[in-house]
Amino acid sequence: MAHVAEFDAKAAWDGGQSPFRVSYGKMMMWFFLVSDALTFGGLLVSYGFIRHKYAEVWPKAENVFTHFPFIEQHLPLAYVGLMTFILIMSSVTMVLAVEAGHRMDRRGVTVWMFWTIVGGAMFVGSQAWEWYHFIVGTHVGGPEGHGGALRNVWDPATSTYVKQVYHGATMAVNEYGVPQFANYFFFITGFHGFHVFSGVIINLTIFLNVLKGTYEKRGHYEMIEKVGLYWHFVDLVWVFVFTFFYLL
Amino acid sequence: MSEFHDDYPHYETMSNHDEAYGKKARRTLWNVFWIMLAITIFELIIGSMAPGHGWTGTLWLKVLFIGLTVVKAAAIVLWFMHLGHEVKFFKYIILLPYITFILYAVFIILVEGVYSGYPRNVTRVDQIFIDQQKELKSHSAQGGGDAHATEAAHGEEHH
Repeated sequence: MAHVAEFDAKAAWDGGQSPFRVSYGKMMMWFFLVSDALTFGGLLVSYGFIRHKYAEVWPKAENVFTHFPFIEQHLPLAYVGLMTFILIMSSVTMVLAVEAGHRMDRRGVTVWMFWTIVGGAMFVGSQAWEWYHFIVGTHVGGPEGHGGALRNVWDPATSTYVKQVYHGATMAVNEYGVPQFANYFFFITGFHGFHVFSGVIINLTIFLNVLKGTYEKRGHYEMIEKVGLYWHFVDLVWVFVFTFFYLL
Repeated sequence: MSEFHDDYPHYETMSNHDEAYGKKARRTLWNVFWIMLAITIFELIIGSMAPGHGWTGTLWLKVLFIGLTVVKAAAIVLWFMHLGHEVKFFKYIILLPYITFILYAVFIILVEGVYSGYPRNVTRVDQIFIDQQKELKSHSAQGGGDAHATEAAHGEEHH
């Protein structure tokens, strides 16, 4: 933006002002996001290692995520594509709310924040739906009634593993392939989904403040920018989760 | 706060702008969105074509997908999160530590991944596990008859 060009970076280090030209809150949001990104980076790297190790027995995402709401057809990856679209879309509405805040346009902020919350809620709902189908597996609503796969299931009566047709997924066993697949799916998409859920709650809080006129009184809408950073970060993580879980 | 720091700059209002600037900014943001949408649709099309063409797991496909993902990530960080507009030093203090960590993580995963892939480094337990999984996979692929019989037998055990 315009102010950066006039900014004397050298003199700024002499004190009395922020050499980064940002407020404390915004800087700390960035630092938090870096640390959170390190967590997700670690999780995805560990996922990549295990996946590589069991490459020959790892299930293919297009054989696992084939459902679409209200359509009883084999549609691989269609729903996750829609989820990705919803999240990118809500990222755009968020950035438009930030932009409206920079113009002190209270109505604009209200409208765009509202759509961001709607998009976020839709995404969380979609993820719950996808988890449901992943956990329940093929014997509910599966195409042409096929279902299940032979798995080693622990039998407490004999204290041995017995071969059994298994539907759906738990942490210990799943019908799609190696148990690690479900473990990483639950952990990483769950961790991300929890971030989205928190984001929706935070956005809702800020939205109520906008309605109350808190930021109008304060004289600036920087709070929208700060929660916007968090919301974009959630989108950013999803871009990677989408690639590593569903595409590769 | 202002009574203690009278001449402290108000960073909160520094990125405020007028309608003319906002119009330009919005156009940029929508362009970024359309590019990201196009990339995502392209990825999904390639992803759904991959199994039929035998592209699954090929190196070029992995490089393509990861490359496109990094492009999308850069678009989010630089435009949506406005990091492209921040002071140079601030950009570096966010990006450099993270990029360093990720490059190191990628390096270590490649080294360790190659190491664990050598036959002599696959442990006995790993091999048993992989063989079991392969066997289960081939049984499941053979069709329902056998599998259903097993299920029925197991059901009787419980009743």
